Amino acid sequence: MSEQEALGWLAKLFNQPPESITAQTPREDIPEWDSLGILTLMAGLDERFGILLADDTLKAMTRVDDVLQVLRSNGKLS
Amino acid sequence: MAIAHTAAHRIRGITTCVPSRVFDNARDATAFPPKEVDAVVKMVGVRQRRLADDTTCSSDLCRAAAQDLLHALGWEPATVGALIMVTQSPDYFQPSTACVLQESLGLPDTCAAFDVGLGCSGYTYGLWLAGMMLRNSDIQRVLLLHGETPTRFCDPTDRSVGLLFGDAGSATALEAAAPASEAKWWFSLHTDGKGARDLIIEAGGFRDRFAPDHRRHFLSMNGANIMNFTLKRVPPLVEETLAAAGTRPEAVDYFILHQSNQFIMRHLAKKCGLPLDRLPITLGDFGNTGGPSVPLTVTRGGLTRPTDRALRLLMIAYGVGLSWGSALVDLPPDARLNHLIYPADVPSPAPSA
Repeated sequence: MSEQEALGWLAKLFNQPPESITAQTPREDIPEWDSLGILTLMAGLDERFGILLADDTLKAMTRVDDVLQVLRSNGKLS
Repeated sequence: MAIAHTAAHRIRGITTCVPSRVFDNARDATAFPPKEVDAVVKMVGVRQRRLADDTTCSSDLCRAAAQDLLHALGWEPATVGALIMVTQSPDYFQPSTACVLQESLGLPDTCAAFDVGLGCSGYTYGLWLAGMMLRNSDIQRVLLLHGETPTRFCDPTDRSVGLLFGDAGSATALEAAAPASEAKWWFSLHTDGKGARDLIIEAGGFRDRFAPDHRRHFLSMNGANIMNFTLKRVPPLVEETLAAAGTRPEAVDYFILHQSNQFIMRHLAKKCGLPLDRLPITLGDFGNTGGPSVPLTVTRGGLTRPTDRALRLLMIAYGVGLSWGSALVDLPPDARLNHLIYPADVPSPAPSA
């Protein structure tokens, strides 16, 4: 998956318009990335990529690039 | 892993019981902004819950269920050889709630009665214990009671639990049967105490009995850790249980999951490849009632029951402890299922002369 496709996947997961987010978008700019959104992200990463992240890791994320970094380190980005 | 199987017993009936007070999350929740309530209801799937009042204990709900079951089956109390009470909301520290119930149900003093202090996973453990007792002793009849009143130990203003839990009790009647006449039951049972603090009431026990901070006397839950645990542990549990029994998902009539949270359950179903039409959900009407959500889903899940064969049920329970377990069991076509509202459906004691 390319980085652009990953951004599109994340936008869809959080009900954002496609191409509305970039790697530098802070978490607080995505309304649905709240305390419930952490669960959405956990389930989404597990379902789409087979990556099951711990609570601490998810809570430490502050911007979209933190998610991309997880995908990169797990070899999921081309 | 602890894989076990038991045989030569059958379920004769299950009665569940919930309090009469209905709490509609969208209508009655005032501790949170309406928009927040809507988001939680949409995600977690709990539309309404049943709440016990301050005088109703899990033992009251279980007693009503047990009395209904004994009466319907025509079981004389003197014929019950064991009573197992699975609960984390007991009446007292001492004595065991099972002893209180033995007396009020009129069971004989030859009855073995004891509590099991498990929560979400409790029903699978209770069935395992009952199965072993019927297989390995002279006991012919066991009453398995499982009740919780989590709303009495939850802070209604706590976002992580305030809209989630409901109260319920249950009674399951089990009886010894001819060995060849019944299918084996299979169990897989697990524990990981590393997650003990992810779902905990810190105060009130002897570790911190009189903590001045009242919040420590309420349930504290790390929802994300619990979800992570569930997604990590439950899929292998399903696989290993089916493998141990030498069967496949297609041979299971219904998958009865602990009704934890709709979002988690749907994700689990997808991850385990469980068909949604064989995965009844009762969470919307009762909330997460802890371990009793399993028998509650058997009685209220709308199961289609053939008249000529038993239903094969795979029960999957997981949560506080952390503890998780499965039970692959048969529900015979003549097993009686019933559901009560407390106290409306419970006969009042006859006035004394």
